[in-house]
Amino acid sequence: MLANILVTTLVNGAAYAMLAVGFSLIFGVGRIINLAHTAYYMLAGYSIFTLVRVAGLAYVPAMALSILLVTVVAVLCYKLLIDPMREHETTVLIITIALALVFQELMLKYFGGHFRSVPGVAEGSLSILGVQVTRQQAITCAVLAVILAAVWLLLHRTRFGLAVRATAQDMEAANLMGMDVSRIATLTAAVSAALSAAAGALVAPLNILEPHMWLNPLTIILAIIVLGGMGSIKGSIYGAAIIALSESLVIFLIPQGSFLKGAFSLLIMIIVLLIRPEGLFGVALEGER
Amino acid sequence: MKTRWAVAAALILLCLGAALVAGCAREEAEESRVIKIGVAGPMQFVHGQHHWLGAEMAAEEINAAGGIKVGDEYYLVELVKIDTNELLSVEDATNAVERALAQDNIDLLVGTIRTEAAVAIQELMMDNEKIFITCGASLKQMADKVGQDYERYKYWFRVTPLNGELLARASLILLQYVGQVMKEDLGLEAPKVAVVCEEAAAGDALAAAAQQVIPSFGMELVGIWRPSPQATDMTAELTAIRGAGAQIIYTYLSSAAGVTYAKQWGELQIPAASVGINVESQAMGFMEATDNYGDFECSLNTYALVEITEKTVDWYNRFTERAGEFPTYNAGTYDAINIYREAVERAGTLETDAVIAELEQTRHTSAAGVQVFDENHDVIWGPGYATAVGTQWQNGELKCVWPYNWEGITYPGTVRYQIPPWVAEALQ
Amino acid sequence: MIRVWLLRLYRDFKGDILALPGRTLACLAVLALFIAPLFIRDTYILRIITLTAVYAVFAASWDLLSGYVGQLNLGHALFFGVAAYTSAMLNLHLGLPPVLTIPLGALAAVMAGLVVGIPCLRLKGQYLSLATLAFPIILKGLVYLFKEYTGGELGISGISRLAGSRLVECYIALALGAVLCFLIWKITDSNLGLIFHAIREDEITARASGINTTAYKLLAFCLSGLFAGIAGGFFAHYMRLAGPFTLDVLLSFQAIIWTIFGGITTIYGSVAGVIILFPLMEILRAFPEIRMLLFAAVIVIVLRFMPEGVVPWFLDRVEKECPRCKERNAFTRTRCRVCRVSLSEREVRARTTTRA
Repeated sequence: MLANILVTTLVNGAAYAMLAVGFSLIFGVGRIINLAHTAYYMLAGYSIFTLVRVAGLAYVPAMALSILLVTVVAVLCYKLLIDPMREHETTVLIITIALALVFQELMLKYFGGHFRSVPGVAEGSLSILGVQVTRQQAITCAVLAVILAAVWLLLHRTRFGLAVRATAQDMEAANLMGMDVSRIATLTAAVSAALSAAAGALVAPLNILEPHMWLNPLTIILAIIVLGGMGSIKGSIYGAAIIALSESLVIFLIPQGSFLKGAFSLLIMIIVLLIRPEGLFGVALEGER
Repeated sequence: MKTRWAVAAALILLCLGAALVAGCAREEAEESRVIKIGVAGPMQFVHGQHHWLGAEMAAEEINAAGGIKVGDEYYLVELVKIDTNELLSVEDATNAVERALAQDNIDLLVGTIRTEAAVAIQELMMDNEKIFITCGASLKQMADKVGQDYERYKYWFRVTPLNGELLARASLILLQYVGQVMKEDLGLEAPKVAVVCEEAAAGDALAAAAQQVIPSFGMELVGIWRPSPQATDMTAELTAIRGAGAQIIYTYLSSAAGVTYAKQWGELQIPAASVGINVESQAMGFMEATDNYGDFECSLNTYALVEITEKTVDWYNRFTERAGEFPTYNAGTYDAINIYREAVERAGTLETDAVIAELEQTRHTSAAGVQVFDENHDVIWGPGYATAVGTQWQNGELKCVWPYNWEGITYPGTVRYQIPPWVAEALQ
Repeated sequence: MIRVWLLRLYRDFKGDILALPGRTLACLAVLALFIAPLFIRDTYILRIITLTAVYAVFAASWDLLSGYVGQLNLGHALFFGVAAYTSAMLNLHLGLPPVLTIPLGALAAVMAGLVVGIPCLRLKGQYLSLATLAFPIILKGLVYLFKEYTGGELGISGISRLAGSRLVECYIALALGAVLCFLIWKITDSNLGLIFHAIREDEITARASGINTTAYKLLAFCLSGLFAGIAGGFFAHYMRLAGPFTLDVLLSFQAIIWTIFGGITTIYGSVAGVIILFPLMEILRAFPEIRMLLFAAVIVIVLRFMPEGVVPWFLDRVEKECPRCKERNAFTRTRCRVCRVSLSEREVRARTTTRA
């Protein structure tokens, strides 16, 4: 039972973490709540589906191409629609959700309301700690870990990472120090979208593609972000682990209440917020006006 | 200054134009001798497409034969496509139906799938005193209302599927049959059953019934899981089920979760046969959607390519050819419209009360069996009526596996249930 | 006596409404909404008008809390759903008439406002928004859990109708909508509104000025809950059904979309947003295949070029502010109607530079 819970948490948590880190990055740097974030995840899934099933590409090149494609789309959206609106926080909120709806409807129009699946790299399943997981899940988990490590290195060992963290901490000061904040924000938007697309590309073979698949993970990653502290990368990873763990606990301990896993995760989020209003690793925004 | 006046003038013109368009839209000529039938469903999705295709087939056949004979006159059937968008918004669905009632003057409504929307539409149709034949939503309470307040709810009927309680009974008999096969072939004493029921009104009835009945079948219940219909991942549930040592999984899954479930069930090689209701497994694209991992999934179904009645095979083939899809219970709009046609022809008038009286006398042989309404205007289930069928994917083909000597019924063309090979291997 | 009173009314009308194109248009629109149903026999159009009125109150109540006090609430459907369920249960189980159930439902929504408001007082900015998003989802979980009382997915149906005909229901909704929206607007226009503005702009300074910001924020939650609750109760009786869909995430977002589209922190903007967007969605039924796509695209494009919302954008075109006394004037005027100063920017600038 314990091994079951841990393995399930690991697999789900890794995917959540990847989505949440991307979301957190662009929030930290641009102060943008990008509700279209998981729509990129959906787009990547459909893009792989098209490339593999229709164009006949192999999974790995299709994945690389999809991530590239979605990142380009996301940067275009950012530059044309979001960046000019950054002053109007609520308008950004609505533009991004409308954007997500546009993507949803486009997918619905071109792929129909059918359920689709994407073949993965590996077939079948293997056993870890006595728990049966599909090979695809194991690979996904490993790749996710590598990508997360790469993001950590990018943020902590490069000049770009330093700039990102500085901007996230205090945008005005960063600007005054001579950093090109707008360029940093654009690059961050690209990295953020690429992470979302990569998560979509890796998870696509595990799940089913459908045009509304972006809405459910969106509420979950919002909970994760808030739980971990907005803008904090470390917080996002811990938050993802906590939410994934709470979901598995609900499923394994109260099977009759599986449907409550979403509500239960959100309840945990609210309890954490009541104790620590700025999340686990968030910076108190008291000084910010 | 000039530009400002130009803006003002443009605004005024715009308002006038809008008024004109609105005025013109209302000038629609009333056509006589036409019966307008509203077909309500989420038209962007498979459910709605089946609603529409079934209705379209019925309308074309009726019109080709000259129309519906009312007394001495013939009325043509005109379909009104109502995209309810009900899977996303209930309010939107009621608006769409009200629009069809007020602006298209529909005489009859068929269709609807999502329970919440169907209930709201039922109230609306009763307010308007128009006949509403449900094809898709299975909630039993919709029929109970007819019994409680006949005067208000008498306009409501259901053709497909069976109501939730009957679905539970039929699918449990299917479970019993599969259990029997497992006992015979694998020598199991008392197969262990895990129940996976999605969290929906119809799921409650099934979960409750399963809990009561499974021990009486000589089987052992090891746990009940209730995932959300929106679940996008079932590995946790499936891992838990494997942990519980289940040998059969009894399912009720009516949404996307069913595809996820079947795919992960096959991929994880869960050593338990899967049987029950999995609506998505009734679709032709199921094998592709599950990446072939859904093979051997077994589900209760409304139609199958066997001789349920003499009409079944012909109709099934025609529908499949036309739609590129196997008919699901949503295609019951075909039967609904034909049942309505027969009632109107017997009544000899379009007067609602007379048509209702005749509808209540219905005895219609359709592709799904013999359709008779009970006192609550719900479809009757049982030998000699609509029985429902069990279908299983066997090596990529959808076969009918049940009724198999149930109450003396085996429809010609039915094959025996096959235990998934990895399950047989694991349990032997 | 009456003559004097009427004359004063006429003077006020001319000075405060006819003088400004925005207000004239708003007045005409409301008048049209009230007269139109008399000539409409089409129950569908009556239904759209009714629902527009209900949603206008819902959107305006969101604006009151989120636009004015700055407590960005992403779970506004909570109030709507709580009131809908309460009204439905009271009506079904105790047999109370809608006249009682709707206010009682609204009262329950006020309680919900307190329940959400008190813990959320500790939270700031986006933390607050995302925490509020959680409440309706949690409540929805509870609705499914206690289905003996809530009816689960089925909801509570069979509740009594507001009035015998669609026309009467339409007029009740219009009257209620007009009165409530006016009331909300009046609240934001009063001293209370000023305090709300202050809290949003700078909470620390507001507190330093002796304003009990905690109490006022709670008050805002309750007021917003009250108005959203009336809309929710009315909606339940109109649909004759209170189901989990009244707690949908999308319903919460809808209020935000309407308000921001029309113009946040204005009240009239949110009302205009509903009046434009809700019927637009119905008109788009002519293109069922791409309806949602068009709707979302319209929002993206319009907001991209009018980030403040449609109404402020429009008012900026047809009215201008007097540079001296800040009174608003119709775009046709060259001199301020109050202080007679020239409204032409060029002229004002020229004069100030010569003076300097």
